[in-house]
Amino acid sequence: MKTIMLVCSAGMSTSLLVTKMEKAAESRNLEAKIFAVSEAEAPDNIDKIDVLLLGPQVRFLESKFKKKLEPLGKPVAVINSIDYGMMNGEKVLEQALTLLGE
Amino acid sequence: MNGFIAFMEKYFIPYAAKIGGQRHLVAIRDGFISTMPLMILGSLGTLINNLPIQAYQDFMNNLFGEALWKSFGGNIWNGTFAILALLTAFTVAYNLAKSYDKDALSSGVVSVSSFFAIGGLTGLSSSGLFLALIVALVSTELFTRLSGNQKLIIKMPDGVPPAVSRSFAALFPAMITVSIFAMLTTILFGLGVKDIVGEFYKLIQEPFMGLANTLPAALLLAFISSFLWFFGLHGANIIEPFMQTINVDAIAKNVIAINHGLDAPYIVNKPFFDSFVNLGGTGATIAIIISVFLFGRRNKQYVTVSGLASAPGLFNINEPLMFGLPIVLNPILFVPYILAPLVLVTIAYFATSWGMVPAATIVTPWTTPPIIGGVLATQSWTGGVLAAVNIAVAVLIYAPFIKVAEIQEIRREKAAAAGEETKDNF
Repeated sequence: MKTIMLVCSAGMSTSLLVTKMEKAAESRNLEAKIFAVSEAEAPDNIDKIDVLLLGPQVRFLESKFKKKLEPLGKPVAVINSIDYGMMNGEKVLEQALTLLGE
Repeated sequence: MNGFIAFMEKYFIPYAAKIGGQRHLVAIRDGFISTMPLMILGSLGTLINNLPIQAYQDFMNNLFGEALWKSFGGNIWNGTFAILALLTAFTVAYNLAKSYDKDALSSGVVSVSSFFAIGGLTGLSSSGLFLALIVALVSTELFTRLSGNQKLIIKMPDGVPPAVSRSFAALFPAMITVSIFAMLTTILFGLGVKDIVGEFYKLIQEPFMGLANTLPAALLLAFISSFLWFFGLHGANIIEPFMQTINVDAIAKNVIAINHGLDAPYIVNKPFFDSFVNLGGTGATIAIIISVFLFGRRNKQYVTVSGLASAPGLFNINEPLMFGLPIVLNPILFVPYILAPLVLVTIAYFATSWGMVPAATIVTPWTTPPIIGGVLATQSWTGGVLAAVNIAVAVLIYAPFIKVAEIQEIRREKAAAAGEETKDNF
């Protein structure tokens, strides 16, 4: 069971993507907990997660979150902007799994 | 165009990104965001009391008596706009301390205490807002630094509950911080400044708000937001601290004016942008969706993405369009994406200042669909008409560029098909 957190400024557009990713996970029989939060809520959730993906519009947060998460061995990455725009849940899930080394 | 984009990516975007992540600005933004529900509620209170429908007013007056039924909205106002600066002093300090991983709760408490040490009850409402912001930032900087000093911590014997020892750890730093503000006030008092909150308001906050209420300021805000978005950065988010600092008091002052049956003095504020400019999101992108369906139907990618983006677009969420169309770094759409908001700001500004539409002043959630948002924010159907006119104007601005993109796409397809054919021949 892997926990994936998506972060954007208000957690709105990432929450759209979450639904698509959940569907993608379901179709591959993958057990994963995927959720989206706003930038402000993100630090409180760090303990619960395995990987953090940032919306491309808040890519300037990458270094801030890397500083916090990398010592814990939790990868941080920015979502590919085309996949983000097309709301491609399959591809973004793939990106998360690759980061987790699976 | 490519050279320009490369130049901006190298010299401009890193700085913009730094501002977007700057600790104090983020604290101000998040501090305001946590009071946003109260601002919306406060606006609704005003809306209930001042709905400009005579029949409704008469009905309520006859049923309950004017003083009684209006007291509900008044009570809401007391709980929201009337204590805005107080709440801000706490929430900004809390968020700043949290970003330092320091005791956020104590920092908030110390900030509120410092704020009252300066002006007593005089700074409670939005007039004390700027001062509250400054006190929150300075007191938290002082307090969190002092808290890190081992010499100021009273050692507790083992067995004392951690909560107790934590409150003792904050004891001296808190006392010192608040005393500094109290002493500062005494010194200023000795120098003849009797009312720091009032003086500060007159000297800094009021002129600044006046400046921010002009058309050039509104144009600048609209420009920065869409310009940053063009490079894929969340422009609205980055300028939010400035926007909120200017706007929150402007809204509060408008609400007071409406409560007294006067015209709202501040035209440029956040509801103004949300209802008349950011239609469908930054750049009035709902107009792009409409343009694509009207004028660009043969561009398959545009149609697919627009279809995908239309549901979120109704609630002003435009990321799918920004990254999917894409608008980000798209040389064809650069011009209209920057131009449309500027034109819309100008139209809305003049429509308001000429009195055709009441000033936008009721805070609605930014996800309120276009046109409905215009009606609610201005408490008038004319606000909805203005929003609809602005959408139409934006469609006209985008249409030629959508058409160009379509022609390019068709040409590209033809070239690809021709390429395929020649391959088949060999």
